[in-house]
Amino acid sequence: MQSYEYYAPRSLPEALEYLAENTGNCQIIAGGTDLIPALRKEDIHPARLLNILEIVEAGGISETGETVRIGAITTFNDLADSELIRKEFPLLAEMALSVGGPQTRNRGTIGGNIASAAPAADGLPVLLSLDGELELSSRRGNRSLPLNEAITKAWTPAWDDDEMITAIKVNKLPPGTRTKFYKLARRNALARSRMTISLIFRSGSGGEIEELRFVPGSVMPVPRRMEEIEKLLTGQVPTDELLDRAARAVGEEMVKVTGIRWSTGYKKPVLGNLFRIVLRQLITAG
Amino acid sequence: MKKRGVGYGSMFYGLGYGFSRTDIASATLALNQDGSIIARSGEVEYGQGSDTVFCQIIAEELGVDYIAIKLITADTDVTPDSGPTSASRLTFVGGNAFIKVSRSLKKLLHGVAEEILGESDLVFREGMVFSRSDPEKSISFKKLAGEAYARGVPAVVTEWYNNTTHDVDPETGQGDAYATYCWATQMAEVEVDTETGKVEVLRIVAVTDVGKALNPLNCEAQIEGGVAQGLGYALEEEIKEEGGYVKTETLGEYMIPTSLDVPPIEVHLLEVAEPKGPYGAKGVGEPALIPTPPAVLNAVRNALGLRIHKLPANLENVYQLIHGEEAGN
Amino acid sequence: MKAARKVIMAKVQVKTILKMTVNGKPVEVAVDPTWTLLRVIREELGLTGTKEGCGIGDCGACTVLMEGKPVNSCLVLALQAEGKEVRTVEGLGTEENLDPLQESFIKYGAVQCGFCTPGMLISARALLDKNPHPTTEEIKVAISGNLCRCTGYVKIIQAIQQAAQQG
Repeated sequence: MQSYEYYAPRSLPEALEYLAENTGNCQIIAGGTDLIPALRKEDIHPARLLNILEIVEAGGISETGETVRIGAITTFNDLADSELIRKEFPLLAEMALSVGGPQTRNRGTIGGNIASAAPAADGLPVLLSLDGELELSSRRGNRSLPLNEAITKAWTPAWDDDEMITAIKVNKLPPGTRTKFYKLARRNALARSRMTISLIFRSGSGGEIEELRFVPGSVMPVPRRMEEIEKLLTGQVPTDELLDRAARAVGEEMVKVTGIRWSTGYKKPVLGNLFRIVLRQLITAG
Repeated sequence: MKKRGVGYGSMFYGLGYGFSRTDIASATLALNQDGSIIARSGEVEYGQGSDTVFCQIIAEELGVDYIAIKLITADTDVTPDSGPTSASRLTFVGGNAFIKVSRSLKKLLHGVAEEILGESDLVFREGMVFSRSDPEKSISFKKLAGEAYARGVPAVVTEWYNNTTHDVDPETGQGDAYATYCWATQMAEVEVDTETGKVEVLRIVAVTDVGKALNPLNCEAQIEGGVAQGLGYALEEEIKEEGGYVKTETLGEYMIPTSLDVPPIEVHLLEVAEPKGPYGAKGVGEPALIPTPPAVLNAVRNALGLRIHKLPANLENVYQLIHGEEAGN
Repeated sequence: MKAARKVIMAKVQVKTILKMTVNGKPVEVAVDPTWTLLRVIREELGLTGTKEGCGIGDCGACTVLMEGKPVNSCLVLALQAEGKEVRTVEGLGTEENLDPLQESFIKYGAVQCGFCTPGMLISARALLDKNPHPTTEEIKVAISGNLCRCTGYVKIIQAIQQAAQQG
């Protein structure tokens, strides 16, 4: 592979300075699980690599009141091992454990997963269901960007070239909320997701669905909450008939975005099936 | 909905090349003065355990310590050609060559021992050579080797085993295709999720007639590995090509089972001695995996009442089988 | 003259000195920034126990411990290992003094072609260091990033179970 200039600063200001001086000509590397194969295959030819794994400010998981801050360089295993994450956001820990294999979970980072803006990236759907926000830093300053605005096109982050993700912020869920992340794949480890379900659910006193947040993953260029489905079900008592209707609607909503593709014949019904199965599990889990 | 099913797959498989194709193996033994042995053969060990079995055979025939044997294989400078490691032939063809050469060396040493001990019915066991009727009359193998050397007995022997069969009748297809066959049946228990097309294999039971398991641990290991390969073949492995280019170029795209994809495997070794085999042994390399796909696919058929005709039985193909042409690809 | 000098300069690879600890010993080696840790381990340090199965993180044959955690060394740039502690299979045991896992692998027939074995041992060692009494499921998860084509994983799992019970 072509050579590059490599820089591994230990402080955020140093990194941001480097990014600012080399805007548009600098590739950030964290765990490298996507980037290094791309470098080997010569899909990319960066002139500079900025390793952010040594930047303390980009790491750590902490809570301030209702907000949890997850450092961008938090690995999937860090997420899965964190008691805080397991307690407050079980689906995030579930997702973390489902990615790749033990080795890649020790290197792959949540920030890198988001920044890849890959349709099959698993971190994005889960964090969208949690209404996550990116903490972006640059020499010009910091800002927050809601995740649903941060990625609007596959493979294309919407933030500026001189900015880097330093953290993802999510808010704790109301008591009584249940969550689930489900991954369908061709084998039980080392497999890309064929499709995923991120579901957040809470039932009300009358057995009706008080809150529902649903993001399907790996089925669209850019994942998003299926608000049409959430509206269909919120406030309703989840009868079998309603869930069947919702499952069919899920497939239709997907096709509205993707159009008919070679995989639609499979994905359309199965996505709905999975939605129904996982939602039922959450409903009866209480 | 999850549906369970049970299926069986049975096979028989000819060992060696068959059909009058040249199928020979050679082995050389060189005895050193100190009783250690250098063995040579062209056979290739790549982890399946042929080196182990050959040393076991030498040790068994000559009564020497397994550790005293230095085995050199697959070195074209010094090992006689023994054909490739394929056709599940090494234990059978190579093993027979080693029995032959071990017995030839034994015969030479027997002559020397007879002279020394004055007995003709001798046993070679546990590093000793002794009279069957009067075990006190004995000499250590090491000492015997030294005596042979002193007497100028040439203790380097090479033997060949020829497993080439005659051919079948070109008109009727009947005849002596292979010297021997391995037989195996496997049972698979599966659970199919009709809503996703996912097939989960719950259990495999493998019964394989290996003739004689010269090394039961390695035999089991071969079968376990073969079953895993068979599972991959049946359920996930697929080479995709487009316009002559292979699209599944990486181990991430061509998926083989991981540790989380292999169910409990119960292995039963059936030993029905093959008279032509070394101590009755046959072979197991390929037989290990052949019954697995049909067992799994028959189990899927049992679960669904539908037979799949498109491999691998992956998510889309199984879903399409259940729900029709419009579903799936 | 100027053009010729430019060409010569372009061919000179700029190397950086990498300092890390490998199997308990400090190591200093000049590396090209494009090199992976795997390459440095095998080619520069001569520790060829670690294998390159695919080079892109799909098989686990290159697994080493970095700061005690199993990682695919083909997915670590050499320079990213600066200042880190790395342990390869050579650091698990020696021929005279095998790691209990190595003994167990031999005893229970867990090695066939042996190509996946170093990576398996490293993943297993990482597991037992963190969780000395793992369940079968935990063992399977621990080695789920190490592909094996020969064994079907059966005797590998058994060997790890046995080593855990002895230890």
